[in-house]
Amino acid sequence: MRKPFRIVFEQRSETPKRLSALVPLVSVLAALLAGAIFLLASGYSPGETYSNMIQDGFLSSRGITDTLGLSTVLICTGIAAAFSFQMNLYNIGGEGQLYLGMIGGAWAGLALGPHLPTFVMVPVVLLVGAICGALWILVPAFVRARLGTSEIVTTLLLTYVAASLVNYFIYTSGSFFRAPDVEFPMGRTVSSSAQLSPIGDTRLYPTFFFVVAVAFFLWWVVKKTEFGYRIQVIADSPRAAHYAGISARRTTMSVMLISGALAGMGGATLIVGTFGKLDPGITLLGYGYAGIVIAALARNNFSAIVVSGILFAGLRVGGDKLQITSDTPIHIGVILQGAILLFALGGEAFRRYRIRAVRVQRVGEATA
Amino acid sequence: MNSNIWVLTLSGAVTISTTLILASLGAMFTERAGVLNLGVEGVLLSSAIASFIASDSSGSVWLGLAVGALVGALLAGIHAALAVVLRANQIVSGLALVIFGTGLANFLGKPKEGLTVTVRVMPMSFGPLSDIPILGPVLFRQDIITYLAIIVAVGSSYYLFHTRPGLDLRATGDDPATVDAQGLSVASIRIRYTLVGGALMGCGGSWLMMSQSAGWHQAATTSGIGWIALALVVFAGWRPIRLIFGAILFGFCLRLPFTLQAEQITFIPNAFMDMLPYIATLVALIALSRPGRSNILGAPRALGTPFVRDER
Repeated sequence: MRKPFRIVFEQRSETPKRLSALVPLVSVLAALLAGAIFLLASGYSPGETYSNMIQDGFLSSRGITDTLGLSTVLICTGIAAAFSFQMNLYNIGGEGQLYLGMIGGAWAGLALGPHLPTFVMVPVVLLVGAICGALWILVPAFVRARLGTSEIVTTLLLTYVAASLVNYFIYTSGSFFRAPDVEFPMGRTVSSSAQLSPIGDTRLYPTFFFVVAVAFFLWWVVKKTEFGYRIQVIADSPRAAHYAGISARRTTMSVMLISGALAGMGGATLIVGTFGKLDPGITLLGYGYAGIVIAALARNNFSAIVVSGILFAGLRVGGDKLQITSDTPIHIGVILQGAILLFALGGEAFRRYRIRAVRVQRVGEATA
Repeated sequence: MNSNIWVLTLSGAVTISTTLILASLGAMFTERAGVLNLGVEGVLLSSAIASFIASDSSGSVWLGLAVGALVGALLAGIHAALAVVLRANQIVSGLALVIFGTGLANFLGKPKEGLTVTVRVMPMSFGPLSDIPILGPVLFRQDIITYLAIIVAVGSSYYLFHTRPGLDLRATGDDPATVDAQGLSVASIRIRYTLVGGALMGCGGSWLMMSQSAGWHQAATTSGIGWIALALVVFAGWRPIRLIFGAILFGFCLRLPFTLQAEQITFIPNAFMDMLPYIATLVALIALSRPGRSNILGAPRALGTPFVRDER
């Protein structure tokens, strides 16, 4: 006996607009549902947990400004990931490039800060951070463009190296980055000219608006410029790009270096605001990895990354407060991140294909 | 120079290679079927904590191993559902598995934070053989799972290159259309080996917990071994026998920082020694790359691409 029905995937020629918005939304809801199972299994009330998370992450005035503040770095790592993903290059080492951006930004803030005024210093910190992030991806980008070495594993391996580097700069006695005269190893705060003050009585820094502007600028670059067009052609058909005379090597190099620079800039925003110093705690926060999820959820669309970045920041802020005020494990936030991405990926199939069950016709059966 | 330390390093390299052999063997089976599962690191972490909980509450190493394998297969099942059934982007799906697996492991591991395993896999003794200088500690004082891992790898080589199902598996990764034309289901073969691969990775994670790890320290329990395992598959050209030697070589790199510290080589800071295994892996990957096609290494030709039969 054969199965009377077969599942058929029919490629959609055009994706309905409502599905494009619906799929990410349903993914988030499905992930919350999956998270509820974990919460129930470990004896917590999902309703109470989630309503607290949403209250603390989005609805209270402290919560929403904290969320926007945290989203600054997450939008950076999100656009960093998306910028490479859109060309089917998978820079998943944004985490390590972020550390390097923080190291570079801290160096600039410490070494140049005393000599320059704020309006020069803040751009310099961001720029040095971006350059350091780009340098950290230089080897993976070069071997990918020249030899075809998979950038996935190389960028990721360098993240572990970057984490050791951060530890080296903080735990070595007499290190330039380490606070002197303090027994406990911690970073030295950069000079005040390299830092911005938060807006009012919040933890939201003006860098947020700059980063959002960068996201929209990238959207414009990809949609409207020749460079963006080249990226699209290579992504769609490397062969067509080759015949059109587009150098895949050069574009690969540029795209990966820009991707690394964006993640590095994210690290430098933490120097300008929030941390103000190189902090080894950064290696435990996973901001770079979160960027991968944020980019994938926004399907590498730069304006959508602003939204998904804020959404993720809210989940984390809500999750963090939860851990302070109750004993709910913080890791529910990480599980939710992974689950949202998994469901979004599954939902993608419904966006791309019309999935139907059709009756299987057996030999000899009438076709009409 | 203390020669004892170097014998210990060598024997430690063989020991730690167990996880690398099992994890990369799992990745190899998955990739041979044409599916790329980057989620190894997440699978290792989840299965490690699952085996910790299972072995601790039952007192049995074997139950720990079985539960670890089961958790590995379950997580790989998520990947199979997305990558094979729903034709999702395999790279992103694998990464999602790393994040989900890490979160799951930390969630499950919260009560065990900082605790050490009570049930451990112990090294075996072969009487006089174990007392041979150098060779004894390196070859004849390992634990049972290390020996089993090597036996499984050798068996896998035979299975892959000398049996009919092995041929079907290789064909599925290289030329799924031919397999489909023979009336075999590409999807079912891919799902099956993704699950088997996940179970093998799960064994690797369990062993790491029950033999090596002093305790549960969240992500630091595996600290990137899953990614090294993925690089090792490329390094070994998707061949199980080469994989054994590659695993011992990479295992040596993982042990070397401890040895150099024990030798009190102070001119290299500890932080730089910690980088060694990752940089060695990176260099190995780059050295093996050639411009142009990646197939010369032996990569399955259909790796990472979903199979779609031309449907009307």
